[in-house]
Amino acid sequence: MLPKLDPLLHSELRLGIMSILAGVESADFTFIKNQTGATAGNLSVQIDKLTSAGYINVEKGFKGKMPCTTCSLTSTGREAFENYINSLKEYLNAGAIS
Amino acid sequence: MELNNEMTAQKSLQLISETLNNSRRSILSNGAKYFILWGSLLVIFSLAIYFLWHTTGNPRWNLLWFVMPAIGFPISFCLRKKDVHVPESFVGNMISHAWKIYCVFAVSISVIAVLLVPMFLSFAIVLILGMTMCFTGALLKSWIIIIGGFILGVGGAAATMLIMSDAELLLFTVGGLLLVAIGLIEKHQNK
Repeated sequence: MLPKLDPLLHSELRLGIMSILAGVESADFTFIKNQTGATAGNLSVQIDKLTSAGYINVEKGFKGKMPCTTCSLTSTGREAFENYINSLKEYLNAGAIS
Repeated sequence: MELNNEMTAQKSLQLISETLNNSRRSILSNGAKYFILWGSLLVIFSLAIYFLWHTTGNPRWNLLWFVMPAIGFPISFCLRKKDVHVPESFVGNMISHAWKIYCVFAVSISVIAVLLVPMFLSFAIVLILGMTMCFTGALLKSWIIIIGGFILGVGGAAATMLIMSDAELLLFTVGGLLLVAIGLIEKHQNK
């Protein structure tokens, strides 16, 4: 019986956001936007979904006089991301065996 | 259906891998110029001090080493202003800390050797330079840098004990060239 993939992470943009945050301590909104190539509106929506699930932490502040939104992975998010990768590997292994 | 799952799983893993690599490249893109700067300064200073020591026979020219950070740090500070803003990463932070610790050790033992206790300064500095280079190579997953650092550190330390003359300064020229090579490799990898 193969594990169910986390539907929240099984989306290209949300997975991209999680992958970026997995490799850094924290990243600001502009960096994530540039790396994913997403529009600001779409990115905000997906970040809200991940925040509501407790996967990422969002801090709003200022860099000089400019507003700055910084995102980081929570321990729940990191665990979910690791579980998701392990599930993907199981899918691939099952495919390789069958 | 199973095939779709397999394809999706593969695509997802590929997306994760690509995103992590792209993000890592962007984060490390600022570092290359600092390796090139300090490597170039090391080459210039080691050659200049070697030339002056060799021609005059006076080892006091080694005091010129203290001018190197006095030139390097202001240039680094100016370059930092032009850095592209990137988030802090574990790898970037570790490399930065490793070289800061190297600088603190190198300057401290140099000051102690000049003012308090004479010691085999070239031996110690070449050894920790090689170790820091190896550590950087391990973090950047570059075998060229790891092997270069090992040869410089271990081979260089042994060579300083064998040479025991002004010619040992040329080991620092090699170290500087390796630093420039690290910078160029990083620049090329992060394009």
